[in-house]
Amino acid sequence: MLLNPLTLHLPKTPLEAARLYKELEDSKVLAGGTFLLNSMKLLKTKGTKTSRNILSLANVDELKGVSLEGGTLTIKAMTRINDLLDASLPDGHLKILHEVCRNISTNPIRNMATVGGNLTCRYTWTEMGAVMIALDAKMHFLGVDGLEDVMDAEDFFKNAARSEKLFTHVTIKTLAAARTAYRRVKKTIHVDVPLLAICLKAEIKDKKWYNTRVGINNGVAFAQRDPILEAFLNKSVSSPDLGKEALGHLTTTIYDTRSSDYKKHMFRISLKTAIEEIVSWK
Amino acid sequence: MEVNLAINKKPLTLNLKGNETLLEVLRDNLSLTGTKTACQESECGTCTVMINGKAILSCITLAANVQNQAITTIEGLAEGDVLHPVQQVFIEHGSVQCGFCIPGMIMSSVALLEKNPTPTQAEVEYALDGNICRCAGYPKIFEAVHDAGKKMKKS
Repeated sequence: MLLNPLTLHLPKTPLEAARLYKELEDSKVLAGGTFLLNSMKLLKTKGTKTSRNILSLANVDELKGVSLEGGTLTIKAMTRINDLLDASLPDGHLKILHEVCRNISTNPIRNMATVGGNLTCRYTWTEMGAVMIALDAKMHFLGVDGLEDVMDAEDFFKNAARSEKLFTHVTIKTLAAARTAYRRVKKTIHVDVPLLAICLKAEIKDKKWYNTRVGINNGVAFAQRDPILEAFLNKSVSSPDLGKEALGHLTTTIYDTRSSDYKKHMFRISLKTAIEEIVSWK
Repeated sequence: MEVNLAINKKPLTLNLKGNETLLEVLRDNLSLTGTKTACQESECGTCTVMINGKAILSCITLAANVQNQAITTIEGLAEGDVLHPVQQVFIEHGSVQCGFCIPGMIMSSVALLEKNPTPTQAEVEYALDGNICRCAGYPKIFEAVHDAGKKMKKS
Protein backbone atom coordinates (compact mmCIF):
# COMPACT_ATOMS: atom_id res chain seq x y z
CA MET A 1 0.00 0.00 0.00
CA LEU A 2 1.27 3.43 -0.91
CA LEU A 3 -0.90 5.15 1.67
CA ASN A 4 -1.57 4.68 5.36
CA PRO A 5 -5.05 3.56 6.41
CA LEU A 6 -7.61 6.33 6.10
CA THR A 7 -11.32 6.99 6.19
CA LEU A 8 -12.64 8.65 3.05
CA HIS A 9 -15.59 11.01 3.45
CA LEU A 10 -17.58 11.84 0.30
CA PRO A 11 -20.13 14.62 0.95
CA LYS A 12 -22.49 15.61 -1.84
CA THR A 13 -23.42 19.18 -0.91
CA PRO A 14 -21.34 22.22 0.06
CA LEU A 15 -23.10 22.43 3.43
CA GLU A 16 -22.39 18.79 4.24
CA ALA A 17 -18.77 19.36 3.23
CA ALA A 18 -18.58 22.49 5.40
CA ARG A 19 -19.93 20.55 8.38
CA LEU A 20 -17.40 17.75 7.94
CA TYR A 21 -14.63 20.33 7.44
CA LYS A 22 -15.48 21.78 10.84
CA GLU A 23 -16.19 18.54 12.70
CA LEU A 24 -13.61 16.03 11.46
CA GLU A 25 -10.50 15.77 13.55
CA ASP A 26 -7.14 14.75 12.13
CA SER A 27 -8.34 15.49 8.59
CA LYS A 28 -7.27 16.86 5.22
CA VAL A 29 -9.34 18.08 2.30
CA LEU A 30 -8.91 16.17 -0.97
CA ALA A 31 -9.57 18.32 -4.04
CA GLY A 32 -7.56 17.21 -7.09
CA GLY A 33 -5.13 15.18 -5.03
CA THR A 34 -1.98 16.29 -6.82
CA PHE A 35 -0.45 17.79 -3.66
CA LEU A 36 -2.15 15.75 -0.97
CA LEU A 37 -1.66 12.22 -2.29
CA ASN A 38 2.02 12.79 -3.06
CA SER A 39 2.54 14.34 0.35
CA MET A 40 0.79 11.45 2.12
CA LYS A 41 2.85 8.89 0.22
CA LEU A 42 6.07 10.71 1.03
CA LEU A 43 5.21 10.93 4.72
CA LYS A 44 4.40 7.23 4.80
CA THR A 45 7.79 6.33 3.32
CA LYS A 46 9.38 8.38 6.12
CA GLY A 47 7.31 6.53 8.70
CA THR A 48 5.40 9.68 9.58
CA LYS A 49 1.75 9.56 10.55
CA THR A 50 -0.73 10.96 8.03
CA SER A 51 -4.25 12.26 8.51
CA ARG A 52 -6.82 9.62 9.38
CA ASN A 53 -9.77 11.39 7.78
CA ILE A 54 -9.80 12.50 4.15
CA LEU A 55 -12.60 14.83 3.14
CA SER A 56 -13.06 14.45 -0.62
CA LEU A 57 -14.92 17.16 -2.50
CA ALA A 58 -15.12 15.07 -5.68
CA ASN A 59 -18.88 14.53 -5.46
CA VAL A 60 -19.84 18.10 -4.59
CA ASP A 61 -21.02 19.21 -8.01
CA GLU A 62 -22.00 22.67 -6.76
CA LEU A 63 -18.30 23.39 -6.21
CA LYS A 64 -17.44 22.98 -9.91
CA GLY A 65 -17.58 25.47 -12.77
CA VAL A 66 -16.73 28.92 -14.09
CA SER A 67 -19.33 31.61 -14.76
CA LEU A 68 -19.55 35.30 -15.62
CA GLU A 69 -22.49 37.33 -14.38
CA GLY A 70 -22.97 41.04 -13.95
CA GLY A 71 -19.31 41.81 -14.52
CA THR A 72 -18.13 39.29 -11.93
CA LEU A 73 -16.22 36.14 -12.79
CA THR A 74 -16.84 33.23 -10.42
CA ILE A 75 -14.45 30.29 -10.29
CA LYS A 76 -15.58 27.47 -8.03
CA ALA A 77 -13.10 25.66 -5.84
CA MET A 78 -13.27 22.27 -7.56
CA THR A 79 -12.74 23.69 -11.06
CA ARG A 80 -9.86 21.79 -12.64
CA ILE A 81 -6.97 23.83 -14.00
CA ASN A 82 -7.64 22.56 -17.54
CA ASP A 83 -11.34 23.37 -17.20
CA LEU A 84 -10.44 26.97 -16.36
CA LEU A 85 -8.02 26.91 -19.29
CA ASP A 86 -10.87 25.79 -21.57
CA ALA A 87 -13.42 28.18 -20.06
CA SER A 88 -14.61 31.17 -22.00
CA LEU A 89 -13.27 34.31 -20.33
CA PRO A 90 -14.16 37.91 -21.14
CA ASP A 91 -11.76 39.83 -23.36
CA GLY A 92 -9.29 41.95 -21.45
CA HIS A 93 -7.28 41.50 -18.32
CA LEU A 94 -8.92 38.28 -17.07
CA LYS A 95 -7.55 36.39 -20.07
CA ILE A 96 -4.39 36.23 -17.98
CA LEU A 97 -5.99 33.29 -16.16
CA HIS A 98 -5.60 31.21 -19.31
CA GLU A 99 -1.89 31.98 -19.39
CA VAL A 100 -1.54 31.11 -15.72
CA CYS A 101 -3.29 27.75 -16.20
CA ARG A 102 -1.39 26.94 -19.37
CA ASN A 103 1.88 27.19 -17.48
CA ILE A 104 0.97 25.00 -14.53
CA SER A 105 2.74 21.64 -14.40
CA THR A 106 1.88 18.92 -16.93
CA ASN A 107 -1.27 17.95 -18.81
CA PRO A 108 -2.47 15.11 -16.53
CA ILE A 109 -1.81 17.28 -13.50
CA ARG A 110 -3.82 20.12 -15.05
CA ASN A 111 -6.64 17.62 -15.65
CA MET A 112 -6.65 16.74 -11.96
CA ALA A 113 -5.51 19.77 -9.97
CA THR A 114 -8.10 22.33 -8.93
CA VAL A 115 -8.12 26.08 -8.45
CA GLY A 116 -9.19 25.59 -4.85
CA GLY A 117 -6.40 23.13 -4.17
CA ASN A 118 -3.83 25.47 -5.68
CA LEU A 119 -5.03 28.35 -3.49
CA THR A 120 -5.51 26.52 -0.20
CA CYS A 121 -2.94 23.71 -0.14
CA ARG A 122 -0.59 25.91 1.91
CA TYR A 123 2.47 25.27 -0.24
CA THR A 124 4.17 28.65 -0.57
CA TRP A 125 5.22 28.07 -4.18
CA THR A 126 1.83 27.60 -5.82
CA GLU A 127 1.19 30.23 -8.42
CA MET A 128 -2.50 31.18 -8.13
CA GLY A 129 -1.99 33.22 -4.96
CA ALA A 130 0.02 35.99 -6.61
CA VAL A 131 -2.48 36.09 -9.47
CA MET A 132 -5.54 36.35 -7.24
CA ILE A 133 -3.87 39.09 -5.18
CA ALA A 134 -3.05 41.07 -8.33
CA LEU A 135 -6.60 40.66 -9.64
CA ASP A 136 -8.02 41.78 -6.25
CA ALA A 137 -9.99 38.55 -6.00
CA LYS A 138 -12.40 37.79 -3.17
CA MET A 139 -12.30 34.34 -1.60
CA HIS A 140 -15.56 32.86 -0.31
CA PHE A 141 -15.83 30.42 2.60
CA LEU A 142 -18.86 28.49 3.84
CA GLY A 143 -19.58 27.80 7.49
CA VAL A 144 -21.67 25.05 9.09
CA ASP A 145 -24.46 27.59 9.64
CA GLY A 146 -24.70 28.11 5.88
CA LEU A 147 -23.32 31.62 6.21
CA GLU A 148 -20.55 32.80 3.93
CA ASP A 149 -17.38 34.69 4.81
CA VAL A 150 -15.71 36.77 2.11
CA MET A 151 -12.04 37.63 2.37
CA ASP A 152 -9.62 39.49 0.10
CA ALA A 153 -7.13 37.04 -1.39
CA GLU A 154 -4.40 39.30 0.00
CA ASP A 155 -5.72 38.90 3.56
CA PHE A 156 -6.08 35.15 3.14
CA PHE A 157 -2.39 34.81 2.32
CA LYS A 158 -1.40 37.28 5.06
CA ASN A 159 -3.15 34.82 7.37
CA ALA A 160 -0.87 32.05 6.05
CA ALA A 161 -3.67 30.60 3.89
CA ARG A 162 -5.62 29.34 6.89
CA SER A 163 -9.38 29.29 7.27
CA GLU A 164 -11.85 27.87 9.77
CA LYS A 165 -14.43 27.49 7.01
CA LEU A 166 -14.60 25.61 3.72
CA PHE A 167 -13.31 27.48 0.67
CA THR A 168 -16.02 27.36 -2.00
CA HIS A 169 -15.20 29.86 -4.74
CA VAL A 170 -13.37 32.97 -5.80
CA THR A 171 -14.86 36.04 -7.48
CA ILE A 172 -13.10 38.65 -9.60
CA LYS A 173 -14.52 41.89 -10.99
CA THR A 174 -14.03 42.64 -14.67
CA LEU A 175 -12.43 46.05 -15.25
CA ALA A 176 -12.61 47.76 -18.63
CA ALA A 177 -9.36 49.73 -18.27
CA ALA A 178 -7.28 46.99 -16.65
CA ARG A 179 -4.24 45.34 -18.15
CA THR A 180 -2.34 42.37 -16.78
CA ALA A 181 0.96 40.57 -17.24
CA TYR A 182 2.20 37.31 -15.74
CA ARG A 183 5.60 35.70 -15.41
CA ARG A 184 6.53 32.33 -13.97
CA VAL A 185 10.00 30.80 -13.69
CA LYS A 186 10.60 27.14 -12.89
CA LYS A 187 13.29 25.88 -10.52
CA THR A 188 14.70 23.44 -13.05
CA ILE A 189 13.71 22.17 -16.45
CA HIS A 190 13.20 18.71 -14.97
CA VAL A 191 10.74 19.26 -12.15
CA ASP A 192 7.89 21.70 -12.47
CA VAL A 193 8.21 23.58 -9.20
CA PRO A 194 7.93 27.35 -9.61
CA LEU A 195 10.95 29.37 -8.54
CA LEU A 196 8.90 32.54 -8.71
CA ALA A 197 5.67 33.89 -10.11
CA ILE A 198 4.60 37.49 -10.52
CA CYS A 199 1.37 39.06 -11.72
CA LEU A 200 0.81 42.74 -12.42
CA LYS A 201 -2.53 44.43 -12.92
CA ALA A 202 -2.81 48.11 -13.74
CA GLU A 203 -5.52 50.43 -14.94
CA ILE A 204 -4.29 53.00 -17.40
CA LYS A 205 -5.91 56.19 -18.65
CA ASP A 206 -4.10 58.67 -20.89
CA LYS A 207 -0.93 56.65 -20.22
CA LYS A 208 -1.24 57.28 -16.46
CA TRP A 209 -1.10 54.21 -14.20
CA TYR A 210 -3.54 53.81 -11.31
CA ASN A 211 -4.97 51.03 -9.11
CA THR A 212 -1.84 49.00 -9.77
CA ARG A 213 -1.50 45.72 -7.91
CA VAL A 214 1.66 43.64 -7.94
CA GLY A 215 1.27 40.06 -6.71
CA ILE A 216 4.52 38.28 -5.94
CA ASN A 217 5.21 34.67 -5.14
CA ASN A 218 8.80 34.22 -4.03
CA GLY A 219 8.29 30.60 -2.97
CA VAL A 220 9.62 31.36 0.51
CA ALA A 221 6.65 33.22 1.97
CA PHE A 222 3.00 33.15 0.97
CA ALA A 223 2.05 35.36 -1.97
CA GLN A 224 2.13 39.07 -1.21
CA ARG A 225 1.99 42.58 -2.72
CA ASP A 226 4.94 44.85 -3.39
CA PRO A 227 3.79 48.20 -1.92
CA ILE A 228 6.84 50.23 -2.96
CA LEU A 229 6.63 49.14 -6.59
CA GLU A 230 2.88 49.74 -6.63
CA ALA A 231 3.34 53.28 -5.23
CA PHE A 232 5.97 54.05 -7.87
CA LEU A 233 3.87 52.70 -10.74
CA ASN A 234 0.78 54.58 -9.54
CA LYS A 235 2.70 57.85 -10.01
CA SER A 236 4.01 56.80 -13.41
CA VAL A 237 3.23 57.44 -17.02
CA SER A 238 3.74 54.71 -19.61
CA SER A 239 7.04 54.98 -21.43
CA PRO A 240 9.41 52.49 -23.06
CA ASP A 241 11.82 52.87 -20.11
CA LEU A 242 9.27 52.37 -17.35
CA GLY A 243 10.21 48.73 -16.77
CA LYS A 244 13.85 49.61 -16.28
CA GLU A 245 13.08 52.59 -14.04
CA ALA A 246 10.74 50.52 -11.88
CA LEU A 247 13.58 48.23 -10.84
CA GLY A 248 14.87 51.05 -8.63
CA HIS A 249 11.63 51.00 -6.63
CA LEU A 250 11.22 47.49 -5.25
CA THR A 251 10.44 46.16 -1.79
CA THR A 252 13.76 44.40 -1.83
CA THR A 253 13.10 42.05 1.10
CA ILE A 254 10.49 40.24 -1.01
CA TYR A 255 12.97 39.51 -3.76
CA ASP A 256 16.19 39.07 -1.83
CA THR A 257 15.16 36.83 1.08
CA ARG A 258 16.80 33.44 0.57
CA SER A 259 17.29 34.21 -3.12
CA SER A 260 20.26 33.15 -5.20
CA ASP A 261 21.78 35.62 -7.65
CA TYR A 262 19.99 33.73 -10.42
CA LYS A 263 16.63 34.11 -8.70
CA LYS A 264 17.18 37.82 -8.05
CA HIS A 265 18.11 38.25 -11.71
CA MET A 266 15.02 36.37 -12.86
CA PHE A 267 12.84 38.52 -10.62
CA ARG A 268 14.24 41.68 -12.20
CA ILE A 269 13.86 40.39 -15.75
CA SER A 270 10.34 39.19 -15.02
CA LEU A 271 9.24 42.49 -13.49
CA LYS A 272 10.85 44.60 -16.22
CA THR A 273 9.34 42.62 -19.08
CA ALA A 274 5.94 42.38 -17.38
CA ILE A 275 5.81 46.18 -17.01
CA GLU A 276 6.91 46.57 -20.63
CA GLU A 277 4.15 44.20 -21.69
CA ILE A 278 1.56 46.35 -19.92
CA VAL A 279 3.03 49.52 -21.47
CA SER A 280 2.71 48.04 -24.96
CA TRP A 281 -0.67 46.35 -24.28
CA LYS A 282 -2.92 46.09 -27.33
CA MET B 1 -15.94 -0.15 1.91
CA GLU B 2 -17.89 -1.09 -1.22
CA VAL B 3 -16.51 0.73 -4.23
CA ASN B 4 -18.26 0.88 -7.62
CA LEU B 5 -15.93 1.37 -10.53
CA ALA B 6 -16.56 1.43 -14.29
CA ILE B 7 -13.38 0.20 -15.94
CA ASN B 8 -13.19 -0.29 -19.70
CA LYS B 9 -16.99 -0.08 -19.90
CA LYS B 10 -17.42 -2.88 -17.33
CA PRO B 11 -19.07 -2.07 -13.99
CA LEU B 12 -17.30 -3.61 -11.02
CA THR B 13 -17.97 -3.64 -7.31
CA LEU B 14 -14.91 -4.11 -5.14
CA ASN B 15 -14.49 -4.32 -1.41
CA LEU B 16 -11.64 -1.93 -0.67
CA LYS B 17 -10.10 -0.36 2.40
CA GLY B 18 -10.33 3.13 0.93
CA ASN B 19 -6.61 3.95 0.89
CA GLU B 20 -5.85 2.13 -2.39
CA THR B 21 -4.72 4.22 -5.34
CA LEU B 22 -6.36 3.51 -8.66
CA LEU B 23 -2.99 2.25 -9.88
CA GLU B 24 -2.85 -0.36 -7.12
CA VAL B 25 -6.40 -1.49 -7.80
CA LEU B 26 -5.81 -1.80 -11.54
CA ARG B 27 -2.60 -3.77 -11.20
CA ASP B 28 -3.00 -5.71 -7.94
CA ASN B 29 -6.75 -6.32 -7.71
CA LEU B 30 -7.69 -6.51 -11.38
CA SER B 31 -4.40 -7.66 -12.99
CA LEU B 32 -4.64 -4.84 -15.54
CA THR B 33 -0.87 -4.53 -15.67
CA GLY B 34 -0.76 -2.57 -18.92
CA THR B 35 -0.88 0.54 -16.75
CA LYS B 36 2.70 0.80 -15.53
CA THR B 37 4.07 1.79 -12.17
CA ALA B 38 7.31 3.75 -11.96
CA CYS B 39 7.88 6.98 -10.04
CA GLN B 40 4.59 6.81 -8.11
CA GLU B 41 4.83 10.54 -7.49
CA SER B 42 3.14 12.03 -10.55
CA GLU B 43 6.30 12.86 -12.45
CA CYS B 44 6.69 10.20 -15.14
CA GLY B 45 3.25 9.55 -16.65
CA THR B 46 3.60 5.76 -17.02
CA CYS B 47 0.47 5.26 -14.91
CA THR B 48 -1.70 7.47 -17.16
CA VAL B 49 -5.28 6.31 -17.69
CA MET B 50 -8.34 8.17 -18.90
CA ILE B 51 -11.24 9.23 -16.74
CA ASN B 52 -14.20 10.61 -18.65
CA GLY B 53 -11.91 11.03 -21.67
CA LYS B 54 -9.20 12.98 -19.85
CA ALA B 55 -5.69 11.76 -19.15
CA ILE B 56 -5.03 11.49 -15.43
CA LEU B 57 -2.42 9.86 -13.21
CA SER B 58 -3.63 6.72 -11.46
CA CYS B 59 -0.76 6.82 -8.93
CA ILE B 60 -2.23 9.91 -7.26
CA THR B 61 -5.88 8.99 -7.61
CA LEU B 62 -7.77 7.25 -4.83
CA ALA B 63 -9.82 4.44 -6.37
CA ALA B 64 -12.73 5.13 -4.04
CA ASN B 65 -12.74 8.76 -5.17
CA VAL B 66 -13.53 7.98 -8.83
CA GLN B 67 -16.56 5.77 -8.41
CA ASN B 68 -19.03 5.53 -11.28
CA GLN B 69 -16.79 7.47 -13.64
CA ALA B 70 -15.70 6.10 -17.01
CA ILE B 71 -12.17 4.76 -16.46
CA THR B 72 -10.28 3.59 -19.53
CA THR B 73 -6.96 1.77 -19.38
CA ILE B 74 -4.68 0.66 -22.20
CA GLU B 75 -6.47 -2.72 -22.14
CA GLY B 76 -9.76 -1.00 -22.97
CA LEU B 77 -8.69 0.61 -26.24
CA ALA B 78 -8.70 -2.32 -28.64
CA GLU B 79 -12.00 -3.66 -30.01
CA GLY B 80 -11.48 -7.40 -29.75
CA ASP B 81 -8.45 -8.22 -31.91
CA VAL B 82 -8.49 -4.84 -33.63
CA LEU B 83 -6.08 -2.39 -32.09
CA HIS B 84 -7.03 1.22 -31.51
CA PRO B 85 -5.66 3.39 -34.37
CA VAL B 86 -3.16 4.97 -31.98
CA GLN B 87 -1.84 1.56 -30.89
CA GLN B 88 -1.63 0.39 -34.51
CA VAL B 89 0.20 3.49 -35.67
CA PHE B 90 2.70 3.31 -32.81
CA ILE B 91 3.65 -0.16 -34.12
CA GLU B 92 3.80 0.98 -37.75
CA HIS B 93 6.05 3.93 -36.91
CA GLY B 94 8.40 1.89 -34.71
CA SER B 95 7.60 4.28 -31.87
CA VAL B 96 8.32 1.70 -29.19
CA GLN B 97 11.84 1.31 -27.85
CA CYS B 98 11.94 -0.22 -24.35
CA GLY B 99 8.16 0.25 -24.30
CA PHE B 100 7.73 1.10 -20.65
CA CYS B 101 6.32 4.59 -21.23
CA ILE B 102 4.17 3.56 -24.19
CA PRO B 103 0.87 2.73 -22.44
CA GLY B 104 0.94 6.15 -20.80
CA MET B 105 1.97 7.84 -24.04
CA ILE B 106 -0.88 6.13 -25.87
CA MET B 107 -3.46 7.08 -23.26
CA SER B 108 -2.40 10.73 -23.39
CA SER B 109 -2.41 10.60 -27.19
CA VAL B 110 -5.90 9.10 -27.36
CA ALA B 111 -7.22 11.73 -24.95
CA LEU B 112 -5.72 14.45 -27.16
CA LEU B 113 -6.84 13.03 -30.50
CA GLU B 114 -10.39 12.33 -29.43
CA LYS B 115 -10.68 16.04 -28.69
CA ASN B 116 -8.48 17.30 -31.51
CA PRO B 117 -7.53 14.84 -34.29
CA THR B 118 -5.39 17.39 -36.14
CA PRO B 119 -3.13 18.85 -33.47
CA THR B 120 -0.13 21.00 -34.25
CA GLN B 121 3.29 19.80 -33.15
CA ALA B 122 3.13 22.24 -30.23
CA GLU B 123 -0.24 20.85 -29.19
CA VAL B 124 1.10 17.28 -29.30
CA GLU B 125 4.10 18.21 -27.17
CA TYR B 126 1.87 20.10 -24.75
CA ALA B 127 -0.57 17.19 -24.38
CA LEU B 128 2.25 14.69 -23.84
CA ASP B 129 4.29 16.90 -21.52
CA GLY B 130 3.46 14.66 -18.57
CA ASN B 131 4.82 11.51 -20.18
CA ILE B 132 8.54 10.91 -19.98
CA CYS B 133 10.37 8.53 -22.34
CA ARG B 134 13.72 7.45 -20.88
CA CYS B 135 14.78 6.19 -24.30
CA ALA B 136 14.16 9.72 -25.65
CA GLY B 137 12.13 8.25 -28.48
CA TYR B 138 9.99 11.34 -28.82
CA PRO B 139 10.33 12.01 -32.59
CA LYS B 140 8.83 8.63 -33.54
CA ILE B 141 6.15 9.00 -30.91
CA PHE B 142 5.16 12.45 -32.16
CA GLU B 143 5.11 11.20 -35.78
CA ALA B 144 2.77 8.41 -34.75
CA VAL B 145 0.42 10.78 -32.93
CA HIS B 146 0.05 12.99 -36.00
CA ASP B 147 -0.54 9.98 -38.24
CA ALA B 148 -3.02 8.42 -35.83
CA GLY B 149 -4.97 11.68 -35.76
CA LYS B 150 -5.33 11.60 -39.53
CA LYS B 151 -6.57 7.99 -39.39
CA MET B 152 -9.00 8.75 -36.58
CA LYS B 153 -10.36 11.74 -38.51
CA LYS B 154 -10.94 9.59 -41.61
CA SER B 155 -12.77 6.92 -39.67
